[in-house]
Amino acid sequence: MPDIPSITSFNYTHVHLLLNHVPTIGSVVALGLFIVALIRRDDGLKLVALEVTFAIALLALPAYMTGVAAFQKMRSQPGISDTAIRLHQDVALFGFTWMEFAGFIAWVGLWQARRHGRVGRGLLVTSIALLAVSFAVMARAANLGGDIRHPELGGTPLTMDAAQFLASKISNVAVNSPWAWPAAETVHFLGLSLSFGVLLAINLRILGAMKRVPFADLHRLLPWGMLGFGLNLITGMFFFVGQPRQYIDSSPFYWKIVFLMIAGANFLYLTVFRKAWADTRGAWSATGADKTMAFVSMFVWLAALYCGRMLPFIGKSF
Amino acid sequence: MGFLTWLESLPLSVWVHESPSIWAQPTVMTMHTMGMGVLVGASWVLDLRLLGFSRKIPLSAFRWVFPAVAISLLVNLVTGILLFMARATLWGTAFPFLIKILLVVASAATLMPIRTYVLQSGPEQLEVSSSAQRWAIASIAAWAAAITAGRLLAYTVAG
Repeated sequence: MPDIPSITSFNYTHVHLLLNHVPTIGSVVALGLFIVALIRRDDGLKLVALEVTFAIALLALPAYMTGVAAFQKMRSQPGISDTAIRLHQDVALFGFTWMEFAGFIAWVGLWQARRHGRVGRGLLVTSIALLAVSFAVMARAANLGGDIRHPELGGTPLTMDAAQFLASKISNVAVNSPWAWPAAETVHFLGLSLSFGVLLAINLRILGAMKRVPFADLHRLLPWGMLGFGLNLITGMFFFVGQPRQYIDSSPFYWKIVFLMIAGANFLYLTVFRKAWADTRGAWSATGADKTMAFVSMFVWLAALYCGRMLPFIGKSF
Repeated sequence: MGFLTWLESLPLSVWVHESPSIWAQPTVMTMHTMGMGVLVGASWVLDLRLLGFSRKIPLSAFRWVFPAVAISLLVNLVTGILLFMARATLWGTAFPFLIKILLVVASAATLMPIRTYVLQSGPEQLEVSSSAQRWAIASIAAWAAAITAGRLLAYTVAG
């Protein structure tokens, strides 16, 4: 068995303090790009703004998760207000949810732009609106986060009942409902199969199967892959928010998120794979770099599955 | 009962069930899940094509699905037998397990008429008969039911 670096020594608080800037500052950058693109009527820049939005939505996942890990590590320390952290965490969870919606709509915009040659106005406006809302919520979360170490700056109420926070309510359902966890697991398995099938078809085409088929004709399958990915993001977040302590110190979980980030970047690349999607006559053939990317894609998805399934065995979860 | 007890007492069964090695139960189980992803995913992609998504792609271009399905079915047969052997007396007498196996067999059975249809389709054939579409719907539903029944075994039987 390969030696997996211990992550109990890994300082999540530092990583969180680094990653937590991505959703806020990233949103400002993306909103700026949208504004410039609209003023200049630059369709290429609109696509860049949508790509940046998707990338921020991806990075919001480790930003949220390292925050939860930092909370679990810090809560026993003196001088830390439990309520301040929980308030920050709850607002961040809302911000994360808005951010994922923005990322999803941005992805639909990118996908549609490939089909119709340009981004639909409705999708563009929706992306910008969702991004603006998520920025506002994330900025509030950032503000509340600052109060954790500097209570003198803010007006956070000293104590609130822990059970009234959203994260606690989700956790309560995850732990106490007899069917919620098994149902979420089942959906997680259905979602992974759906994503796998679509990625298998597209990657095999890059690697040489279905050679006569124009790449563009496979495009209609991508949203099914995204559907599987979305189902697994929702159910996966339910597991994580439901029982965070099962995951934060687990090395297979850490690697699973690393592989998921690579897989997500790969999915974005596949979505905007211009030279391939432009092929409507079956004339495109993959270069060595394209084939390497297809191999990496299959590898990271299998690796993410491996790490997830191995949570109880390599790690200590459940 | 005698057979199941014997099966469970084989050295291989005992190894899968009791060895602390990562290569025993954990790896066998993970390979079973990977096989599931490829098997069901490849089947679903073809089913979606039959139902009209990516309708510009000729059916004959989807022949790669069948080797992918055959390999993953083989992986899951082998890993499935190993997992069964490891706790033969438990699985062999559990009604939910019987349902899961029946659903897997039914799902795999839907692949047969679909396979025949796709392999016999013309090189540029795009249109799909309504009976093939009905098989595609049956295939999607049957695999979803099989996965559901399989995942819930962890709660209904082995909980």
